[in-house]
Amino acid sequence: MRRYGSAVLLLLTGGAVLRISLFSDLYLRYVQAALRPYLVISGSLLMLLGAVAAIRGMSHRDHEEEEEEEDGHSHGSHGPRIAWLLTLPALALLLFPPPALGSYSAGREQAQLAAQGVGTFPALPAAKVLDISVAQYSSRAVYDTGHSLKGRTVRMTGFVTHGSNGTWYVTRLVVTCCAADATTSKVEIRGTESDDAPQTDTWVTVTGTWLPKGKLGTDGAWPPLLDAKTVTQVKEPADPYEKR
Amino acid sequence: MQNERTVVDGLRLAVRAMVYAVLGGAALIAIATVVSVLGPMLAIDLYTPPVAAWWTVFTAVAVQGVPFLLLGTVVSAAIGAFVPERVFTRLLPRNQALAVPIAGAAGVVLPGCECASVPVASSLMRRGVAPAAALAFLLSAPAINPVVLVATSIAFPGQPKMVLGRLVASLATAVVMGWLWARFGREEWLRLPKRTRTTASSPAGMKAFVAGLQHDFLHAGGFLVLGAAAAATFNIAVPRSILDIFTGSSWLSLLLLALLAVVLCVCSEADAFVAASLSGFSPAAKLAFMVVGPMVDLKLIALQAGTFGRSFALRFSSTTWLVAVTSSTLVGWWLL
Repeated sequence: MRRYGSAVLLLLTGGAVLRISLFSDLYLRYVQAALRPYLVISGSLLMLLGAVAAIRGMSHRDHEEEEEEEDGHSHGSHGPRIAWLLTLPALALLLFPPPALGSYSAGREQAQLAAQGVGTFPALPAAKVLDISVAQYSSRAVYDTGHSLKGRTVRMTGFVTHGSNGTWYVTRLVVTCCAADATTSKVEIRGTESDDAPQTDTWVTVTGTWLPKGKLGTDGAWPPLLDAKTVTQVKEPADPYEKR
Repeated sequence: MQNERTVVDGLRLAVRAMVYAVLGGAALIAIATVVSVLGPMLAIDLYTPPVAAWWTVFTAVAVQGVPFLLLGTVVSAAIGAFVPERVFTRLLPRNQALAVPIAGAAGVVLPGCECASVPVASSLMRRGVAPAAALAFLLSAPAINPVVLVATSIAFPGQPKMVLGRLVASLATAVVMGWLWARFGREEWLRLPKRTRTTASSPAGMKAFVAGLQHDFLHAGGFLVLGAAAAATFNIAVPRSILDIFTGSSWLSLLLLALLAVVLCVCSEADAFVAASLSGFSPAAKLAFMVVGPMVDLKLIALQAGTFGRSFALRFSSTTWLVAVTSSTLVGWWLL
């Protein structure tokens, strides 16, 4: 194992990276979409390095190996010992890819009102039903002095979280770089019977209109409301997070 | 005689490959059986939402770090294998006090997050660059490169002073730390990684490049995983609502965000967005979060401990933290 340690580790890591970036969309659960080409390149490079290490390990004569073990600690040709930690994320990704963050993370991180002050927003595209992100809807609902959401029918997708007193929200996490920096945005859904509220963590697409609430730019305006016309269950989208 | 030898060698190789394949295959089958039987039973009990979130954040930090770490190790292995020592002695002034700010400003050229800079700094030291200058580069590179500055300006629209403040405070911290090291640093705190085959002064070409790349990536990768585990643990264990308690006092909140930057380990290209979303904090506190984050965090401490030794990492990180907090306080008070 000593001789092939480096090779095994490099192949495992490279394989795990390629599995989530090249052979599936799983990488979107962990990092932003723009990282994909770099992940594919890294994965391929690691596989290549692993192959080189394996070939070298096989053609090594035994006496050469002994010479290199003199060093005693973890800097020989078999690679440093700490590197075995790489097997943890690699095997997790290969065998049981961890799920995307959901209601648990959204719930423990109190979504906050970013104090950026009110202002006007660029005009929304004309459409009968406007597809909008949860984050975009929230910031327009809370900060837009031009009231660009007024009279528009909007459609948004997110997962369900529940508040107290039977309120429920369409929630979406916003990821900038990787899942460690996820922030929450959510919209309270009105206009449905509370019994109809779907289970926590089910994905839904909601169509409806804006219900103004509170004074713009204050805590009273938050979380924003949506008067729902239809609520349909959908499959979890390939990219579970919203881009900023 | 020669021919016989190669035939015997070839045979031996084939037999060895087969033995490994059989043993490895058997082991894999055994593991797969055990996992598939025990896995679901354990999974139901242990896979609670916090544990699932921990795994997600853990793998996310590791996956996100891999390309940057690889970039860093490619650059560092290339420096080790292809760039002769005299290039650096010619580029950098002999005088350390002068070399430090130049190396700090050179951090602009490495567009990556903090994972990339540790291996590069270590290979610079091995190539004969003064540790003080290499450390200034290590600190400034992840904080002031163009990608990070653009991200900061997007996160704080209409506040160019935030970008300027970040640039000034980060560069000041890096340069001050370099000078501090030049003045007070001791060689024995710094355990430079020994490289066996390559001799110190002459570049050794392709073979050394590949060997260096394999070794550096595996070594730093192990520490990246360690750091990712620590980051995920804090990410799950420390609720963000704890922040609301401290928003009252501007001093406490600055210190708190500077500590938060250490435990959250948000990559330097994303930390501006996290800082922007921390409402209720003073601009100086947000600045401290963005200045400390790329220079001191758990992931970096783990990487530095692996590369330069534990005693170095602890001393260096704690001093850097103090200098970074001081410089962002001063810059925040002056600019923001």
